[in-house]
Amino acid sequence: MATALMDKRSTSAPTAKPQRHRTKTSRPSETRGAWILLSPYVVLLLVGGIIPVGYAVKTALEKPPTPLDPSGGFGGVASFKTVFTDFRFLDTFQNVFATLAIWLPIMMIGIVGLALLIHASPGRFGSTMRFVYYIPGALAGIANLVLWVYLLNPAQSPIEGFWHAVGVDTIKQAVAAPGHLPFILTAMMFFQGVGSWIVVVNGGLNGISDETLEAAALDGANAWQLAWHVKLPIIRPWLGYAALMNLAYGFQLFLEPQLLDQVASNALPDQWTPTQLGYAFAFSNYNFPAAAAMSLILLVITLGIGLLIVFRSGLFGEDDS
Amino acid sequence: MKSRGVRPGEVRAVAAAAVVSAAALLTACGSSAGGAGADVKQTDSGGAITVWVDPPRVPAAKAFQKAHPEIKTTINQIDGTVGGKSLQQQFAQFNQAGKGWPDAIFFPSNDDIAWASGAQVNYTADLTDLVPDVIKGYADEVISPCKIDDKVRCLRNDAAPDVFWYNKTFFTQNGYSVPKTWEEYGDLAVRIAKEHPGKLSGFTGDAYAPDRYLWAAGCPTNARQSETEVHIDLNDAKCVRAKDLLAKLVQAKAVSTVGIFDADAAKIGKDLVMSPGAAWWGDYLFRQSWKIPAGQMTAVTPLAWNGDSKPATGNEGGGLWGFSRHITGKQLENTLTFAKFVATDPRWQVELSTGLPAYGPVQDAWIAKQSQQKYFADDKTTFAAIKGATAFVQPDHSYLLYNTGSVWTETVAAGLASGKTVDQAWTGFNDELVKQAKAMGYTIK
Repeated sequence: MATALMDKRSTSAPTAKPQRHRTKTSRPSETRGAWILLSPYVVLLLVGGIIPVGYAVKTALEKPPTPLDPSGGFGGVASFKTVFTDFRFLDTFQNVFATLAIWLPIMMIGIVGLALLIHASPGRFGSTMRFVYYIPGALAGIANLVLWVYLLNPAQSPIEGFWHAVGVDTIKQAVAAPGHLPFILTAMMFFQGVGSWIVVVNGGLNGISDETLEAAALDGANAWQLAWHVKLPIIRPWLGYAALMNLAYGFQLFLEPQLLDQVASNALPDQWTPTQLGYAFAFSNYNFPAAAAMSLILLVITLGIGLLIVFRSGLFGEDDS
Repeated sequence: MKSRGVRPGEVRAVAAAAVVSAAALLTACGSSAGGAGADVKQTDSGGAITVWVDPPRVPAAKAFQKAHPEIKTTINQIDGTVGGKSLQQQFAQFNQAGKGWPDAIFFPSNDDIAWASGAQVNYTADLTDLVPDVIKGYADEVISPCKIDDKVRCLRNDAAPDVFWYNKTFFTQNGYSVPKTWEEYGDLAVRIAKEHPGKLSGFTGDAYAPDRYLWAAGCPTNARQSETEVHIDLNDAKCVRAKDLLAKLVQAKAVSTVGIFDADAAKIGKDLVMSPGAAWWGDYLFRQSWKIPAGQMTAVTPLAWNGDSKPATGNEGGGLWGFSRHITGKQLENTLTFAKFVATDPRWQVELSTGLPAYGPVQDAWIAKQSQQKYFADDKTTFAAIKGATAFVQPDHSYLLYNTGSVWTETVAAGLASGKTVDQAWTGFNDELVKQAKAMGYTIK
């Protein structure tokens, strides 16, 4: 069977060390080249990442001016307290976790399943299907939302029969009924994102050498075993990457609930997700320190989850040889 | 995968950095400190002015350009979404930068005046001594939303008092008599719902619904005490009478849970046989949006509550103009010319505006022009009711930093749409209103 291919660590753990010796002997020209290649990224990381984070930390520690006390100054961790004790704080995280709990598993299973199917379908059929899956992804952002507004509005929807069968007559009922939104967002984000991730994961699958697949076939692996025991472990880093990026997207949900609220005549809470709450802190309450604190809380959470995925899934980890 | 000869430690470091940067994008918000309406030096452009208007007010700005070609006026069209937040965001940033404010603006939501004149943004000029003649032309109850701590911080574009609308043709055919009190309205609505299923006596699903019923009842949802204090008490007897009326209407299916602006309202609007509603409902909703045939709808004086000596009504919208306090000299002079024009000039208020002018002296001219359309079943009664209704708008209702209308749509409208009773939805409305007010920094009295 394909066990020999399955867990490289069991056979190569002792030999991973010698690579460390090479670190000492890397030539200066190599190092310089690496830094030159890295420098545009570092600049962008500074401008779009490190500096804003530093500024957010500074802002979060300030005291917000209020009508009663317009003075600013140092406020310590008061703004974090404001955020944690806000009546919407837990609700927004509950909402986002409820959405992620439904959406991420469906998304990951959908990506893996469809990508493996495509990879296992040789020739024209596979590439046609890959293109078909990709089409909804072309409807990004607003266009996707407009499409969904039609689907969700029982008065105009092509799935009108379904809505009436479940007793929904207006878009307000469809969107604003308790518990509906996570499922609606799941459907929206799945169709929007699944196509492009299939392409990414498919790229990973195409990178698997023919020799490997042949060897597995010679070992007697059928199509199912090939997918489960050979292809999946090899593309694990890609799946980690997909999970990480989708998780980051899910945590930043803003546009979809904000616009669905408008089409549902404002029947949804204005602060349904943490980012919407951060926005409200900044531009409804003029409490920029609290907005910065909210951003930092999100940063810590996503960073924690992100690092966990990176080191657990082997994303960018040691290469299989 | 093929090894590319890159060391795992290095790659891990880069990977971690990539994760950091991906997550760092989350801190996009909160990157400007809130400028508390800091006193910046007033500037003078030498005369050129910039005005911001929502789409329906573009004709007003264009009429001004035509009437005053000597004043260089830049018109910026802004998002007219009621309850939008983008405007607040822009003003916070102007304060931060100490420049960029428009010289005059039409606020898309009346609630905008709360932050625009509040201590933090503090954008609107006190007009009390700048345009005293214009202010004199407003009835007290019409200009009251602009009177904040005894300063007039805006000018009212149009008055939007609620009157009582009914379908005269339907009433005559069925021998119904027009209700005089809110209680009679409730009873008749239940009767009509029973005798003519599908006919409607009101809408509860829009952000103006609490204005229509709660404000009209004198229910303290927006009773401003000071910059930081507000009186909210939904258990007040005045609130309870509105709640009981709504519960009765909803239970009998006499009112629709959709809102007047919903796409679905256009389909069922023709079935509206009576309802309290704003003066502008006649032209905007009945004639233009729902296309109810001419000669059917008519308005009468607002309803009174049992035991009250005079009618009591709410108000739905009626836009506000604000003017910058950051300007001086010729720029200020020209901005005030613009202010006078949009508030009082017949070339806008009579010829182009569809709402009842807030400025008293031009109301009769507007009525004369609107009467030419011959749309209402009884023009004379309708326009008399519209003109007189401003006097019956209940006091103690200010525009505040929290938006009662959107709390209503998120709790009551959403609750009723998903089958809750008024009583169940009311609890959620009360809790959310108090929480939002507190979150905005108000102390509840």
